[in-house]
Amino acid sequence: MLKRLIVRALAIAHKEVMHIQRDPQTLGFALVMPIVLLLIFGYAVSFDVERIPLVVVDQDRTPAARVLVDKFTASGTFRVVAQRQDPAEVETLFRSYSAKAALVIPKGFGRSLGRGTQADAQLLLDGADNTTASIALGYASAVSLAASRDELLAIVGEVEPSLAARTRVFFNPTLQSSIFLVPGLMAVILVMIAVMATAMTIAREYEQGSMEQLFATPVGRLEVILGKLLPYFFLGLVQVLMVLALGVTLFDVPVNGSLWWLFAVSCVFLLAMLMQGLLISVVTRSQMVASMVAAMSTFMPALLLSGFVFPVENMPWPLQVVAAAMPARYFVRSLRAVLLRGNGLEVIWPDLLALTGFFLVLLVVATKRFKRSVA
Amino acid sequence: MLTALRAVIVKELRQTLRDKRMVALLTIAPVLQLLLLGFAVNLDVERVPTVIADEDRTPESRRLADGLTAGDAFTRTGTVADGKAATRLVSRGEVPIAVVIPKGFGRRQRLGKPVAIQVLVDGGDSNRAIVAQNAIAAFAMSQAAAEAETQILQIAATRGQAPAIPRVNVEPRVLYNPTLNSKIYFVPGVAATLLLIVTLITSSGGLTREKEMGTLEQVLVSPIRPETLIIGKTLPYGLIGLVDMGLVIGMGAWVFGVPIRGSLWLLFFAGCLYMLTTLGVGLLASTIAKTQQQAFIAAMFFIMPAVLLSGFVTPVENMPAWLRPLSGFTPVRHFVEILRAVLLKDASASELSAQLVALAGLGIATYSTSAYLLRRRLT
Repeated sequence: MLKRLIVRALAIAHKEVMHIQRDPQTLGFALVMPIVLLLIFGYAVSFDVERIPLVVVDQDRTPAARVLVDKFTASGTFRVVAQRQDPAEVETLFRSYSAKAALVIPKGFGRSLGRGTQADAQLLLDGADNTTASIALGYASAVSLAASRDELLAIVGEVEPSLAARTRVFFNPTLQSSIFLVPGLMAVILVMIAVMATAMTIAREYEQGSMEQLFATPVGRLEVILGKLLPYFFLGLVQVLMVLALGVTLFDVPVNGSLWWLFAVSCVFLLAMLMQGLLISVVTRSQMVASMVAAMSTFMPALLLSGFVFPVENMPWPLQVVAAAMPARYFVRSLRAVLLRGNGLEVIWPDLLALTGFFLVLLVVATKRFKRSVA
Repeated sequence: MLTALRAVIVKELRQTLRDKRMVALLTIAPVLQLLLLGFAVNLDVERVPTVIADEDRTPESRRLADGLTAGDAFTRTGTVADGKAATRLVSRGEVPIAVVIPKGFGRRQRLGKPVAIQVLVDGGDSNRAIVAQNAIAAFAMSQAAAEAETQILQIAATRGQAPAIPRVNVEPRVLYNPTLNSKIYFVPGVAATLLLIVTLITSSGGLTREKEMGTLEQVLVSPIRPETLIIGKTLPYGLIGLVDMGLVIGMGAWVFGVPIRGSLWLLFFAGCLYMLTTLGVGLLASTIAKTQQQAFIAAMFFIMPAVLLSGFVTPVENMPAWLRPLSGFTPVRHFVEILRAVLLKDASASELSAQLVALAGLGIATYSTSAYLLRRRLT
């Protein structure tokens, strides 16, 4: 029984390998694509906000005002793109994306400071760009605080700070966002290539009529599915290894945990995603519908619900439930655990279990829904 | 020409919409996705779960712990006995921040000596870690400033002078989205991405489906000209895309409170230009690919970088200098910028001329390339 299953599944796998070989362009694409995507994404997606375009509206023109401008531009977070005299001109610059922040220093700023009173300035921010605005917001309050402290200390003289916070950052001491984001990117790329590989295979056979011929043979449903899965699993493993090796070497992602656990969790994840593609193929039976479903169900959910960029803990609870049904969520979590924190089975076992469960459930559903009829 | 065009359009619409699942995928799915994903996007780092390890257990240490967790930045989720337990929690990824108040903290503070606390941060989530670090630094800084102020007040009191307390206050004012609601920021991006997926996947499958089934030969022997075929193969999907755009913007306004401050006509015009580029790319994929699988892979290979390079998730300014010019080639970037500017800032067409010209240019370039390729195939 088992032997027959293996022999027949291997026969289907052999047929699928011949399909893959006959289309070398797609195969080449499948191997090059993850590398190109990782290269672009790894550099493109970054939270390290720098060079926020700043307009300076200095109506005061005193040394104190210039010191404040210097404090803003010192760290490279802001870069001055324009000088204006009238704050009303700022909005035009915001609307055409020429600037995202404006520092308005009103007349009398330097005088108030010299008199020993509060000197007010204003930072206008383009709230249409949330990420930049919220970083700039934090930066503005830090600059105010630091500037005030400097003014006060200039009077009382330099003293040792009374409260020191010694921060110890685990796993990512320089706080590069790439170390946080690259494991997530690997997951998003693998979701895409795995589902893309299998979403069309069975639908294509229905469309081209070869499914009818397959059903005329004694091959069973499970055998077809396993046979279709096998070649893409090995192809996927090559892609997984490429993405992991490249991600780790190019973006300085540390490998603090065991490579074996990394490999194990990647294998199970790959199986689950390939199975998702096969399920789409079995259910839709049309390549057009399959490609729509595959595109809709993978890219955006993997990007937004996996915890790759947006922490799952921040989502409202109904969405946390939806996110729990995303294999990518478990993969992202365990990749970070193994790579960054060096955790082993004691931390990632729930993720491994969830991914295995996904694979098995999808396998059963796909086999059940796979009808031996062509109409 | 017009009769032929109408015939191709009717055929294409019929063939696509015959499958009821396709109708649902083209209309209900984008709206559902927007609803779902709109709630997911939230980068606000607030109430970071924080564990306090109070080794000192004095009124002073308790006051510090309360002061730290009083604001919006940190939420105290637990208390452990010592730094060792806190380290274990952070290194297992169970809690992102732990604050260790060492033994002797209260005594030193009573003696007026400088005191130090230790903050353990899980750098795995760098965004959250940076925000948390800044919040702690600001807390320490404001404490220092407060102490300098007390000193100045004391000195002034002993000398019998009026105290001079110079302070710099940079008051931030956020325009267009004063509460920095993430949804208002992300919904235009999600909308543009959904439109890209819907129009690109459908149009890239159009020609290749005919190639695979062998019906393209039949179309080619008919008197239909390549231009007619190209327009007829893309226009229906453009119409579907425009309907989706209306649905998605309506949902964004209704459910997520995205304001509509600018001109809807300008949005409609920009939407047409955007569709021109997405359909142009779809057509190009469709012309080059031999099978539907190839066309699908090519389409996805365009969609992923186009979205991530657009500044939808992280701003374009964050990208390295060599990559930033590349983001000019993604229509998503220009369309998202137009969407945000028109919806939130009431921007005019002349203020957005750069984006509009870029979209038109991309559309014309991709269309003429695929028209050229298709014509070469025909002759």
